[in-house]
Amino acid sequence: MTRGLVLAVLAALAGCSAPSGPVPSQAADLAEVLGGESDGFARALEPREFGFPRDHGSHPDYRTEWWYFTGHLSGADDEAFGFQFTLFRSGLPRRTPGQGGGWRARDLWMGHFAVGDFRRGDFWPFERFARGALGLAGASETGFDAWLENWRIVAEDTEQADSPVVLSAEAGDVALRLRLVPERPPVLQGVNGLSQKGAEPGSASYYYSMPRWRAAGSVRVPAGDFEVSGTAWLDREWSTSVLEPGQAGWDWFSLQLDDGSDLMLYAMRRDDGTTDEYSSGTYVAADGTVQPLQRDDFSIEPRGTWTTDDGIEYPAAWTLRVPGAGLELEVAPRIPNQEMRLSFRYWEGAVVATGSLGGMSVGGRGFVELTGYGRPD
Amino acid sequence: MSRTLNRTSARYLTRHPWQLVLALGGVGLGVAVAVAVALATESAQRAFKLSNDRLVGTATHQVVAGTAGLPDELYRRLRVDLGIRKSAPIVEGFARSEDAASGTLRIIGIDPLAESFRGDLGMVLGTDAYPLDAFLTEPGAVLAPEALGSVGDVVEATVDGRLIRLAVVGRVPGDGSALADTVVADIATAQELLELSGRLSRIDLQLDATDLGDRVQAELPSGARLVEAAARADTTVQMTAAFELNLRAMSLLAVLCGMFLIYNTMAFSVVQRRELFGALRAVGVTRREILRLVLAEAVAVGTVGTLLGLAGGIALASRLVRLVTRTINDLYFAVAVEQVALEPRVLAGAAALGILATLVSAIAPARQAAGVAPRVAMMRSAEDDSGWVNHPGLAGAGVLAGLAGFALATWRGGDLVAAFGGLLMVVLGASLLAPTVVRAVAKGGAALLGAIVGTPGRMAARALTVGLGRVSVAVAALALAVAVVVGVGVMVTSFRTTLIDWLGYTLQADLYVSPVSARGQSATLRLSNEQLSEIANLTGVDRLATIRTISVETSPEPTAVLAPSHAVEDRESYRLLEPSGNQAMEDAWMRFEGGEVLVSEPLAERRGVAVGDVITLPSPSGALELRVAGVYVSYASDRGEVMMRRSVYASLWRDPLISGLALHLADGATRDGVARQLREILQPLQVVVVSNSELRAQSLVIFDRTFRITAVLQTLVTLVAAFGVFGAVLAQQLERAREYALLRLTGFTPGQLRALIGAQAGLMSVASIALALPVGWVLAWLMIHVINKRSFGWTLQMTVPPGVLGQAAAVALVAALLAAIYPAVRATIAPPGAALREE
Repeated sequence: MTRGLVLAVLAALAGCSAPSGPVPSQAADLAEVLGGESDGFARALEPREFGFPRDHGSHPDYRTEWWYFTGHLSGADDEAFGFQFTLFRSGLPRRTPGQGGGWRARDLWMGHFAVGDFRRGDFWPFERFARGALGLAGASETGFDAWLENWRIVAEDTEQADSPVVLSAEAGDVALRLRLVPERPPVLQGVNGLSQKGAEPGSASYYYSMPRWRAAGSVRVPAGDFEVSGTAWLDREWSTSVLEPGQAGWDWFSLQLDDGSDLMLYAMRRDDGTTDEYSSGTYVAADGTVQPLQRDDFSIEPRGTWTTDDGIEYPAAWTLRVPGAGLELEVAPRIPNQEMRLSFRYWEGAVVATGSLGGMSVGGRGFVELTGYGRPD
Repeated sequence: MSRTLNRTSARYLTRHPWQLVLALGGVGLGVAVAVAVALATESAQRAFKLSNDRLVGTATHQVVAGTAGLPDELYRRLRVDLGIRKSAPIVEGFARSEDAASGTLRIIGIDPLAESFRGDLGMVLGTDAYPLDAFLTEPGAVLAPEALGSVGDVVEATVDGRLIRLAVVGRVPGDGSALADTVVADIATAQELLELSGRLSRIDLQLDATDLGDRVQAELPSGARLVEAAARADTTVQMTAAFELNLRAMSLLAVLCGMFLIYNTMAFSVVQRRELFGALRAVGVTRREILRLVLAEAVAVGTVGTLLGLAGGIALASRLVRLVTRTINDLYFAVAVEQVALEPRVLAGAAALGILATLVSAIAPARQAAGVAPRVAMMRSAEDDSGWVNHPGLAGAGVLAGLAGFALATWRGGDLVAAFGGLLMVVLGASLLAPTVVRAVAKGGAALLGAIVGTPGRMAARALTVGLGRVSVAVAALALAVAVVVGVGVMVTSFRTTLIDWLGYTLQADLYVSPVSARGQSATLRLSNEQLSEIANLTGVDRLATIRTISVETSPEPTAVLAPSHAVEDRESYRLLEPSGNQAMEDAWMRFEGGEVLVSEPLAERRGVAVGDVITLPSPSGALELRVAGVYVSYASDRGEVMMRRSVYASLWRDPLISGLALHLADGATRDGVARQLREILQPLQVVVVSNSELRAQSLVIFDRTFRITAVLQTLVTLVAAFGVFGAVLAQQLERAREYALLRLTGFTPGQLRALIGAQAGLMSVASIALALPVGWVLAWLMIHVINKRSFGWTLQMTVPPGVLGQAAAVALVAALLAAIYPAVRATIAPPGAALREE
């Protein structure tokens, strides 16, 4: 999964580029940002040995890293919610460490937190920033523990690879507290976890997903407090430079299907409207078999659009086809407005899928991320 | 009809340009001085408020703890544990830099990621003006205003004697003028630059929920206070209130002088037009119309004069503002004013003042004009018929007003405004004595001058009483100005003499060492113990004393805490005001040794603290209840000082740092030699090593600098008054042109005529001086014993220097004689016939 727009935010925060305003224009900036100088950071050049719980922790040798939870929750009386909880780490240029005290930071952190209340059609996105200093934000380098102020994801046992994780976040009238139990081991994306994003060596990231977590806990929205349970998906990715010129943005899909299989796809869109050849995906069958997908192994066909009140047009329904797996799905958002209208804008929303798998009908749910759809008119 | 009337006014004024100039000058100068002072002080305040607003933004509260600062961890607790997300840590300090317009550079350390709630200093993420990576990671990276440096420049500055280099990486967001001489750095950088590792100067909070305040309070370490941001800014501005009120009061004296001048001009113009008014009345023009005519003239003159005054005042303000800011920086807080803010409120106020003052001054002359009977048209008389001067109760009323004013000024319950009000009443009351004084001087003068210069002298003396009304007003104006010169002069000299005396016994060590720093009060001299003992063991050093000075947060204003290492041994350096008596003083020092404190006179005076009272000070060890053993003399700061034993301070504040050294040298040691060795030991720290006499001289330089604005105002008031005398003498002489022509025809020589005119002017100045000296003495007494005491809390020893009196007398004499030159020349060169034919 390539969370490029958000990445661009942190990269811009870190000043790798100079977008001329709080909402950076996407294409050019992204390429510039993500393809820039490596500033003393390591680059993702070849496949590596993954090990857990170590790789749940932070990788400060690389410039950019994220912990990305999305999920669907339901409660009594048809209450239904979606959530996103993400911590982004962005390394500052690795200069000689300052003499100063606790405020000197190596990383900046950004948190995104959103809850969708589908029964009432509401959506609340939030963002936070902090420096990785004085305990304001940070992550363990050995296990699953990352936080930004009082937003936190921490394993109940950080020395355990498959420990349950506690997620807690609150902002204003909205809060989320979940216990997440992994139901499937990590899935390495790309080639053994090396996800190539461009032709240049090093235009790549290390990327693994944990596509199935059982979630239980409570959510607070303005309408009230609710006990909820559901499923979640975790993406973990770190890199130093990813994007190349000409890449405009991407459409990313993570779907959990009823038969127990999981699908991750992303289409990287080029400036000229074509789909970049480095688009890819992974199909994990119900028995755990992992099938990497190249650009020609799948298709994503937008079926409708949703326009924001200030004129940004996002695709709002799709037909996905993975012929090799015999999979065809109609994907639609739970509610249209799940736009993360924050310092940096993108659409990140809960979706439902219906269709057929090997001739049998199948349903599912998941998340879609849409980046690079431009500024308001 | 009214148009015709207006034309007569216009014709009169254009035919008598001198009078027009005098009237305009009177209004204009008064308004100019008033507006300049108001603009200058307002600009300084505005600059402070603007920069404060920029820095505080929407924050409603601040957690502060004086010099000691707050631990970093407190911020994390408030933000994360208490969840106060509208919170921002601030590190603030001052550096000396030649690149700063004011010489002082303010360094503000922020966490840009915490600033978004208040937006203003807040981030413009990743823009060219604000490259975040450089800002966060480059050594010494700062955002600077345009005037200080461009991106890529390095600005050198000194903090507590250390040289620091500031790398300009971007521009302070928004309009730079609010943050002149201010650089913004990342908080980590600022802590490094200012050597404040682990400490915050304050934490700004926006507390939306009312109960949050209590929860914050509960988290605060001892020594820290939660204060309302607005109240804190007001308190800071309030520190200068007394200083500014003093300036404004002086500027009002200029307006008052101007009013005398307007009165004189208008009264003269009415006298000259008696015939005309009589004729007008004879043809049916009503009294009311004449009254209105003269008032309309006054308004016209007032308006034009006011406009001229505003223009002049604006020009003057840009000069005054530098003096005002300098003083505020020397005495109160750092402020940089880039330009005079032309506040419409101030300009409108001054305009109203100018026009109103003109109208008020013109009322009496206008009534006089309206009172001219129709038949006067037939008579020609230049006699002054302002009857008020002959009112028998006038002098009594003056004495009564003066006494009442004195009583008001010295009334114990009164404040500073009451004191100035009383002072004004004294001045006005004294003015009412002018006719009496003029009469007395004329009487004495007639005898004396008659003996010396003969007839012209006697005539001159008599002439004073003939035009008594206007002569009295001119004399009053000059007397007022001279009294101000005397009063302010005596006050400043007294202050200076008192200060010299104080410096003399306070500075008893031979050498004083302090770091080169921007603001002396909480400087830190960072020495290792090795360096200290090395200095103590230098050959030539007999004894080494250190002092620690910090500022602690108290309400309503901060308090300085002084902890000298050898206060008791060096007690000769301190003079106790209370308690009095040798045994009591001994006891006080004993109690000081036992842990009680001494407070400075301004603290005792302004906060009503007396010996035996308990004062409360916040400290890292909790709120301290300190008993006051004595009150000592100090002119170091008008804010309060508390002095305690070093050992007491060190244990309560857990602060081993020092602010400065005082060295007593052994016999035969040279100051230069020891100073050279000192500098070597302290390298690379930049330190100031001065002898006591140099320190004394420097203190006096600052003193003189802070009073330069006073001297300028004094000169301006005198100028207005001199203009008034000039006008009065001139008017009187012009009025008498016909009389002089007759005198010439009856055999007066030009020399005699000149003697007559000169003698008149001389007598007027003598009358002014006679009135001014006692009034000036009273003014000085009030300024010293009431106004200074109330403004700053200290007692000055009154010294009346003969020089000041002589100077004041000379001013009066010169002003009057200068004013006599033109009429004298004119009267003697004009062919007598022409003057007779006139009119």
